[in-house]
Amino acid sequence: MTQVATAATLFGAAQEREFSLDGRQYKMEQQGDKFFVRMRSLGGDYGPGKQVVLVTGSHTLQIPWLETGEGRTLEQFPFAYIIAEKMWAPVSETFLTPPDLKEYYSIGAWNGACMDCHVTQGQSRFVAGNKWDSRVAELGIACEACHSEGNQHIALNRNPVRRFKIHLTAKSDSSMTNPARLTGPVSGLDCGQCHSVWAFNNMTDKIDFNRQGANFRPGHDDLGQRFVVQPNAPDHSEQKDFIRKAEPDFFTNRFWGDGMIRVTGREFNGLQASPCFRGGNFSCISCHEMHPKQTQQVSLTKWARTGQLRPEMDSDQACLQCHKAIGPNITAHTHHEAASSGSRCYNCHMPHNTFGLLHAMRGHQVSWPTVQESVAYGRPNACNLCHLNQTLAWTAEKLHAWYNQPVPQLSQDDQTIAAAVQWIVKGDAGQRALIAWGMAWEPAQKIAGRDWFYPYLIYSMTDPYAAVRFDAWKSLQTLPGFSDFPFTYTSDDHSLRETAARAFEKWLREVRPPNVIFPPQSALDSDGHFQQDVFQRLRSERDNKRILLAE
Amino acid sequence: MNNLDRNLRFGWWSLLIFLSLGGGLEILHGFKIGWYVDVGNDMRRLMFTLAHAHGTALALVNIAAGLTARNIKGFPPRPSVSLSLIWAGILFPVGFFLGGIVTYDGDPGLGIWLVPIAALLLFYCVARIAFDLSKSN
Repeated sequence: MTQVATAATLFGAAQEREFSLDGRQYKMEQQGDKFFVRMRSLGGDYGPGKQVVLVTGSHTLQIPWLETGEGRTLEQFPFAYIIAEKMWAPVSETFLTPPDLKEYYSIGAWNGACMDCHVTQGQSRFVAGNKWDSRVAELGIACEACHSEGNQHIALNRNPVRRFKIHLTAKSDSSMTNPARLTGPVSGLDCGQCHSVWAFNNMTDKIDFNRQGANFRPGHDDLGQRFVVQPNAPDHSEQKDFIRKAEPDFFTNRFWGDGMIRVTGREFNGLQASPCFRGGNFSCISCHEMHPKQTQQVSLTKWARTGQLRPEMDSDQACLQCHKAIGPNITAHTHHEAASSGSRCYNCHMPHNTFGLLHAMRGHQVSWPTVQESVAYGRPNACNLCHLNQTLAWTAEKLHAWYNQPVPQLSQDDQTIAAAVQWIVKGDAGQRALIAWGMAWEPAQKIAGRDWFYPYLIYSMTDPYAAVRFDAWKSLQTLPGFSDFPFTYTSDDHSLRETAARAFEKWLREVRPPNVIFPPQSALDSDGHFQQDVFQRLRSERDNKRILLAE
Repeated sequence: MNNLDRNLRFGWWSLLIFLSLGGGLEILHGFKIGWYVDVGNDMRRLMFTLAHAHGTALALVNIAAGLTARNIKGFPPRPSVSLSLIWAGILFPVGFFLGGIVTYDGDPGLGIWLVPIAALLLFYCVARIAFDLSKSN
């Protein structure tokens, strides 16, 4: 959502007021209820203040937007506020972005891109050059975002007799779209208008979208000027070919090799590709709700922090509401103890394989774990995301024994080195981030033992990608002895290495239990150092392709 | 005893009931009972507040009408006025109260339809008393 910037809405306003980045210094000043940012090059004088007019984001990350003096065209303040950490960081280091990418957003980015989804019924209204005359119905994500236009609904319902007739006879008011009364695919598109990877049908539609805003309205069965991009689906092949030529990284920055979504915030792609979706009833509101019945502050806070789920939908009940037959004898299906995390539907069928805004999230494509997905596409499978200490060969053997899955051809490393070790050392930045985050996941810590996590997390605190460093640090803080370990993940290389060396010494001398035995698959020596030959080889094989996982 | 004496009795009993109801509402507030104070229950809160306020106010109107009849010579109280005032004193608070028991998001429950009837009755008796008092002078 977007809000007008005030002392109440601008997070972190009372904190740090001076920032520096790439040879520029910024000073944020408060005048009454307004905030202004002044900028200077190092050694120079501060220029005139630019007002912080809007802020976008309220759950995880907040980005302030500055006036430019060019009408309604906005400019990004280069720092974002990480809400959970109560800290400012350069915007480019709050997403998983290549280290050489200095500026993630720029002048006009809010008008031309962000406002497409962070307001209700936005119209970018491109003028010329980089000038915009944007308009919105509401800055927040309000009623009409999900229920379509309300003019007629409001006019009709001024009549109290009509209202009571509806209260007493019909279940819903036909003058308003109610996603709960739509079919699964149409209801899902209501959320998917934003929560999907979408593209324009053609240039005419793109121009129309930028001038008039989206012509999609909740209740429509397609996105109008746009379409949901599923890389391997047969639709819109011409448009997808054009995207491949115009932006070669478009698909790899958003999808795993088999077309499964790998970034957060685009859950409708996963939903649409799920087998459940074909039934016609499965949609976002099968598990989520936007208007919780429990409205006590405590309930609302929990609801907001846990994915806005309906009651009990954080449990197996989410799946068992349809798959009723599995419930009575869940062990026969899962081959894990009924009360264990291995018997929780989500953990196997919606593992944490998407990443965005500095954390991993459950993928929303309902799937089942295979070793093949890891071998062919590099996607960490659900088994090894929990059994971080196990090899792919171990997983292949279990999946073959329990579900008769074919055992794929595996390398020598896949038979001897834990899959998680391989991903965090030689994976691409997205894989490294998933494992760095995953080492803080409680079920994985319980099942895989966490003594051997330390060296890998400390090593990952020097990763070239800021997002990996951040998650490695946060995961390290969940381990004994490091709960208050300070680390500035945005520091320069020298400071990062110095802090990592200090952390390793601390672990080696103060935290490591004296008789600890590390699993052989962890590729650690008995004293907790990396087996250098293995480690250096894996490191030299690291997938260094540039990758940008935004949201 | 004239017709409006019963309004005097009704008024005092009614005042006792609705002042007690006010205490009940304070208790719901004091213990932060979700059914009454939660954000989604603001219509119920409004209805109960109106029931309390109207019940109390109508009790006072009944008392005032009774005292008026006793103290003004030649003021002929009509049975219809007395009864209308009592029914207004019942239907107003009961309508609001029932309207708050079951609510439909932004709308009160069906009981709210008693309120316009009560309003007509009240309008009738206030007007009638005003006219009759004018004539008696």
